[in-house]
Amino acid sequence: MRLTLNWLKEILGRNDLGALDIADILTMSGTEVKKVEYPAERFKNIIVGRIIECSPHPDADKLTLCRVDAKERELDIVCGAANFRKGDKVALALPGAKLKNTVIGTSRIRGRVSEGMMCSEEELGLSDESEGIMILDDRFVVGDGFAGAMGLDDVVFELEVTPNRPDCLSVMGIAREIAALKGIGLRFDDPGYSIAEDKGLDILIKDFGLCPRYSAKIFSNIRGQQSPVWMQARLKLCDIRPKDLIVDLTNYVMLETGQPLHAFDYDLLASPKIIVRAAKEGERIRTIDDNIRELAPGMIVIADESGPVALAGIMGGKDTEINDATKNVLLEAANFNGPSIMRASKSLGLRSEASNRFEKKIDPHLTLFAIKRFEDLLAKITGHAESSGIYDSFSPVERERALTLRPQKVNQILGDPLSGQKIMEILNGLQIPSKKEGDNIQVKVPSFRYEDLEREIDLIEEIARIYGYNRFSSNPPKVNQRAGGYTPYQKAVRDLRFCLSGIGLSEVINYSFISRATLDRFMLGDRTKELVRIINPINEDFEFLRPSLLPAMAQNVKDNIKYRIEDLPLFEISKVFKKAKKGKLAQETNMLGVLLTGRRQKKGWNSEESFYDFYDLKGILEYLSQRYYPQQKLLITHKEFGFFHPAFSGTARIGDIDIGIIGKIHPHLSEKLEIAQDIYYSEINLDLFIDNIKTEKHFKPVPVYPSIEMDIAIMVDEKIGSHEIEQVIWDAGSAMLKGVRLFDLYKGEQIEKGQKSMAYSLTFRGDDRTLKDREVEVEIERIISSLSKNLNARLRQ
Amino acid sequence: MQENKAEEILKSLEEEYKDFSESLKEAENTKDVENIKVRFLGKKSLVSSTLKNIGKLSSELKPVVGKNTNVYIKKMEEELARKESRLKSIEFDKKLREEIVDLNLPGRKPKAGSKNIISSVIEEIEDIFAGMGFDIAQGPEVETDYYNFEALNTPQDHPARSLHDTFFISDDVLLRTHTSPVQIRYMEKHKPPVYIIVPGKVYRRDYDVSHTPMFTQIEGLVVDKGINFGNLKWTLETVAHKIFGKDRKVRFRPHYFPFTEPSAEVDVSCRICEGAGCRVCSGSGWLEILGAGMVDPNLYRFVDYDTEKVSGFAFGLGIERVCMLRYGIDDLRSFFENDLRFLKQF
Repeated sequence: MRLTLNWLKEILGRNDLGALDIADILTMSGTEVKKVEYPAERFKNIIVGRIIECSPHPDADKLTLCRVDAKERELDIVCGAANFRKGDKVALALPGAKLKNTVIGTSRIRGRVSEGMMCSEEELGLSDESEGIMILDDRFVVGDGFAGAMGLDDVVFELEVTPNRPDCLSVMGIAREIAALKGIGLRFDDPGYSIAEDKGLDILIKDFGLCPRYSAKIFSNIRGQQSPVWMQARLKLCDIRPKDLIVDLTNYVMLETGQPLHAFDYDLLASPKIIVRAAKEGERIRTIDDNIRELAPGMIVIADESGPVALAGIMGGKDTEINDATKNVLLEAANFNGPSIMRASKSLGLRSEASNRFEKKIDPHLTLFAIKRFEDLLAKITGHAESSGIYDSFSPVERERALTLRPQKVNQILGDPLSGQKIMEILNGLQIPSKKEGDNIQVKVPSFRYEDLEREIDLIEEIARIYGYNRFSSNPPKVNQRAGGYTPYQKAVRDLRFCLSGIGLSEVINYSFISRATLDRFMLGDRTKELVRIINPINEDFEFLRPSLLPAMAQNVKDNIKYRIEDLPLFEISKVFKKAKKGKLAQETNMLGVLLTGRRQKKGWNSEESFYDFYDLKGILEYLSQRYYPQQKLLITHKEFGFFHPAFSGTARIGDIDIGIIGKIHPHLSEKLEIAQDIYYSEINLDLFIDNIKTEKHFKPVPVYPSIEMDIAIMVDEKIGSHEIEQVIWDAGSAMLKGVRLFDLYKGEQIEKGQKSMAYSLTFRGDDRTLKDREVEVEIERIISSLSKNLNARLRQ
Repeated sequence: MQENKAEEILKSLEEEYKDFSESLKEAENTKDVENIKVRFLGKKSLVSSTLKNIGKLSSELKPVVGKNTNVYIKKMEEELARKESRLKSIEFDKKLREEIVDLNLPGRKPKAGSKNIISSVIEEIEDIFAGMGFDIAQGPEVETDYYNFEALNTPQDHPARSLHDTFFISDDVLLRTHTSPVQIRYMEKHKPPVYIIVPGKVYRRDYDVSHTPMFTQIEGLVVDKGINFGNLKWTLETVAHKIFGKDRKVRFRPHYFPFTEPSAEVDVSCRICEGAGCRVCSGSGWLEILGAGMVDPNLYRFVDYDTEKVSGFAFGLGIERVCMLRYGIDDLRSFFENDLRFLKQF
C-alpha cells in the first residue's frame, strides 16, 4: 500500500515528522516500509510561469516566441506548441531542470534564444501522452515551485501491511500506529450521523452473513467536475488514476479510512431499491473495466430490481457508472464477508483495492464514518449540501471484546519484566482502553481491532511490538543438557554425500516435478503406474512428481553438454514419489542416483584418454557395498528395463536385499534425448540401503603370518559369470584362502570360440603359521579340480 | 752390498709411494683412480716386479722387502678404495644433479567432486544446532491441508493462505509450502522438551526471476518450560553470527505469521555496505534472513500441550537465500540448473 507523508501529517495534526524517522518506526513496528520516494525531486527548477507576450517566430512556421513572467525576471522562451494564449499560466522548466533525463539549458532555436521550456504533461511525466503544453488554472501563483503547487512536494511510502492488520490499509490506521509509537494523542471520534427517516432508498440484504452492513447516502444535483489538484496528486502518488470528483472522492476516502466506497449513478438504477444477494447461476455483469463477467453462485452482487449492478466489494457495474451526465449519486459504504470476496476475486482473477481490503475483514463501524468523510470533503471542495440522510441496514454484531491481560504472563512470554503501568501506557497509545483490576489488566478491544485482538497473546504481541523487539534482552534458554544430533540414517546420508563427492562425483539437486511427455520418453515401466499428479501445475512440465531421478539427471547431462561440459560424474539424493497404498499421502522414498558419462580421463602428458564404462559405475556400488556392508557381497542380476541397454541392465543386490538398479542408457533413449555419448546410471533405494546397515563392528586381530599369492588361469564357457567362478573357488578353498582377484580376462583368437580365459590371483594365509609351499599346492589342486568338475573349466597352460 | 740393495729397494718403494700419493691426490674421477691402480698395483708396477723378483734376494732380505712391499700395497689399496668411494659418491651426486626435471608439469590429480551448495549449507546449519542439543526431524513433502495450514492456525479462508500459492494433489492433499507442518507432526509424537530443526524441500506455485516452484527451508522449533522471547533472540542471534560472521548486526522486526505470536522477521546488517545502504540490501542496510516467533498457543491445542506449562519459539529460514547472501549468487534459478561449473564452486 502507498500513502504520503503530508497526508499522515494532516491526519496526525503534526508538522514535525521526518520521512526517514516515520519509515524507520513503521518498519520496526511491523509495517515494513519497502520504499520511500521523493516525487518532488523530479520537478526541481520547474516553476509556475505566466505568458505575458507571444508572437510567431519570424523564421519558423510552427514556433512561437514567448515572453514569460517567472516572478524573479522575465524569460524568452521558444515554444513549439500552439494550445496557449497570452496570460496563460504554464509549467516552466528553468535551465537546470531535468525532464526525462534531459537537462534543460539556454539554447538557440532557429536563431532565437530560449531560456528554458514550457512543459507538456507528458514531458513532466504526469501522463502517458498529452497534446500541447500543460495550462495551469488561475489558482496557481507565478513563481511558485511546480511540485508544491501540484501537491507533489510530498514523500511517498510504500508499505507492506501484514494480513492480520486490515486496519492499517488506510492513512488513519497508519496514523494510529505512528501516534502510538511517538506518543501523539490521537482520537477519531464519531462525528455524529444523520440517519434517514424516509424511504427514499430501500436496502434489502438477503443474507447478513454475506453482507453484515450496507450504508448508503444519496447526493443530489451533483455537477460533473474534476477533483482539486491536491487530491489528484495524492491519488496519483498512491497509484490511483484520477477520474472525476465523485470517483476520486470514493478512492480518496477509501485510502484515508480503509472503507471502500462505491458511487452509482442513482438515476440509472432501475429502482430505488438496493438488493444485496448471492449471484444466481448464469448471471452476468459488465464491470466498469468493460469486461463481461460470468457470475457464479457464492459471489455477492449488488442488484436493483432488474439485475446485478455491481460485483460487491470487487468492482462496480458499467451500466450504473458515474458519467459526465450524472446528477444524482448513490454512495455505497458496505461491509462484505471477507472469505466470499476472496473466493470471488480469486475465481474471477480480478483483484482491486476494495477486494484487497474486504478480504482481510473490515470494521463494519467504518461505513458511516467514511460516508461522513465523503460528505465533508465534497462540501469543502464544492460547497455541495444537497443530500439525504444515511440509509443503513445491518445486523447488530458484537464488536467490543473484553480481555484479561496478566502482566506476569507478559513477562513470561517476553522475558523482560514490564510494569503494569508501562503495559497500560502502550495499550492506551494504541487507543485500546485498559484498566487495572487486582494483579491483572482488563482490556476493552475496540471495534477497529476486533478482528486481530482476540486473545491475551495478541495483546502481548502489541506490547512487544510497540515497546520495540530490539529492546528486549537476549538470553540462552535455561535448558537441561541434551545430547541432540543426528540419527543413524542422517549420519549415513551425510557420510554418503561425503564419500561420493570425495571420489569425484558432483551432487545435483533437481525439481521434484516431471512431465507426462518425459515419463513416456523414458519408458519407466511399472514406476509410472501409481504417479502422484498435481491438479494445478504451473504448466505441463510440472504436472507429476517424479518416480525416478533418472530423467532429470539425464537432462542435466544434456544441459551441460550445451556448454561443452561432457564429462559428468553426478549424483543426487532426493525423494521419488508414488501413490501410497494406504492413507492419502504419497509414498516417498529417498533415492540415490549415480550417473557417469563422458571421459574418465582426459588425454594428458602422462595419461591416455579413457571413457567411463559400466564397470566404473559398478565399482562405485562395490565401494559403497564394501563400506557399509563389509560382510556382504554385491551381486548384479541381469534384468531388462525399458530405459536401459538390454544387455547392460540389471538389479543390484546386497546380501538378500534388492537395493536398486544399474545399467547403461538405451541407445534409442540417448538418441531421443539427442545425447551422443554413453550414459551409465544406477539408482539405489536409500531407505532400504541405509536401514539395513549393521552399525556394529567387531575388531579382528591383524594377521601376523605372511601371505602367499598364487596365480591360476582357466578356460571356461564364456557364458559362465565371473561370480559363479569365484563362488566355486571360494567353496573349494579352505580357510587358508583369503583372497580371489581376477587379473586377466581374454576372449579371442588365441583360444577356442565360445570360451574365455580367466586368470586369478589367489591369496593364502595361515592364521597360526607360515604356510608351506606344499600346503598351498594342495589348495590349488583342489580348486582347479573343483572348477573343472563344476564348470568344466580347463587349466590354461 | 746386499744391505745397499735392500736400502735401494725400500727407497724406491718409498718413492713409488710418494708418486702414488701425488697421483692419487690429483685423481679427479674414478677413471683416474682406475689408471692409478693399474700403474701402481698392476702387473707392470714396481710393487709387482719387486714381489716377482723377491726370490732373487737373500733369505735375510726376503722377509724385510716382502713385508715392506705388502705394507705399501695394503696402504695403496686402502687409499685407492677410500678415494674411489669418495669420488663415486661425488660422481653419483653430480649425476643426480644433472637430471632435468620440470617440477611444474601437471600432477595426477585424484578426482574431486562436490557436495551441492544447498547440502553443504544445510549440513553446516545442522552442525550448529546439533551442537546446541537440537535433534534433526523430517516430514513428508506431500502433506495434508491439516498439517500445512489448519493445525498451523491457518484455517480455510484465512488471508495468510493467499501468501502461499499452493500445489494441490487433491482437495486436502498438497505439496507442503513450508517445513512448518513438521512442527505439528513432531509435537504429536513427542512431549516437551522439544528442540528440533527440520531441513527440507518446500513447494510454492511461483516461477519467475525471484521464485522457483521448489526451494529449501530449515524450520526450527523449541518448546520447553519457561521459554521466552529473549531465548528466541539469543538463539537466532547466535546462529546468524555463526552463519554470517560475528561482526554482523542482527535486528528483529515485528511481522505476522499465523502460527507464531509475537512474530518477527530477522535481518542481518548488509556485508557489502556495512549498513550504509546499497543495491544488494535495496538501500536499507539490512538483509532479511529468517522469520520467527513465539509459538502461537493455538498450536498447542492441536497437539495437546498445556499452554500454561510450556512455551516455545519457532523459526524458518530459506537455504537458497542464505546461499545467495553469503556467496553473492544473484539468480535463484541457478541452484536448480545443475551446471557443473556452478556445482564445482562449492
